[in-house]
Amino acid sequence: MSVSSNGHVRTVRLPDGVDLHARPAGKLVRAAAAYEASVTLNAGERRADAKSILQVLALGATGGSEVVLETSGADASEALDVISGLLASLA
Amino acid sequence: MDDSRSPGIVLVSHSAAIAEGLAAMAREVAGDGVSIVPAGGGPDGTLGTDGGRVAGALVEADSGAGVVVLADIGSAILSIRAVLADGMADGVDAVLADAPLVEGAIAAAVTAATGGDLEAVRSAAEEAWDVRKL
Repeated sequence: MSVSSNGHVRTVRLPDGVDLHARPAGKLVRAAAAYEASVTLNAGERRADAKSILQVLALGATGGSEVVLETSGADASEALDVISGLLASLA
Repeated sequence: MDDSRSPGIVLVSHSAAIAEGLAAMAREVAGDGVSIVPAGGGPDGTLGTDGGRVAGALVEADSGAGVVVLADIGSAILSIRAVLADGMADGVDAVLADAPLVEGAIAAAVTAATGGDLEAVRSAAEEAWDVRKL
């Protein structure tokens, strides 16, 4: 699926030492679920619906790596800002 | 969205340690807003299931929005069905999820934490069949 014309994309670096495991992944999914926009996270070759905890956990994204956040839909711009901020500040 | 009325989750395993450990794990992922109650092991700490314990967990987990129940293997399902059929948790709107226990519990807990209703929480648990790990 390609990013639609109103889609937004941003690359975010996860903080060193913070893998996208249980607690941080849960925070991400709870934040993403608050938006109407679709929120997708790419890590390497893997792609996850950021509103699905199991998909996010299966990404295996590790601390210090770059992930690509894509949002699309009504509140996509705000979702991109808030969620990229959250990802960059996970602890 | 009122967190105090999110659906509860009951985890039934033949092993108390599995149910309790999984409840801790699901709470870690989902945060504190969801009632997740383990109901593992048979009477007297044996491996098995205990209808009374399951019924108690259903009542404890319910805050008025219903309860999604997940179980480990087949005979636990039979025990839960017996509890529901006998009206041992009368007044609790309980639904069984047909889901793998660990993945289903994590998905259910997070969905409940994001304001999902009873059917959304059950669906999230059942979608766990479709998410590959590799």
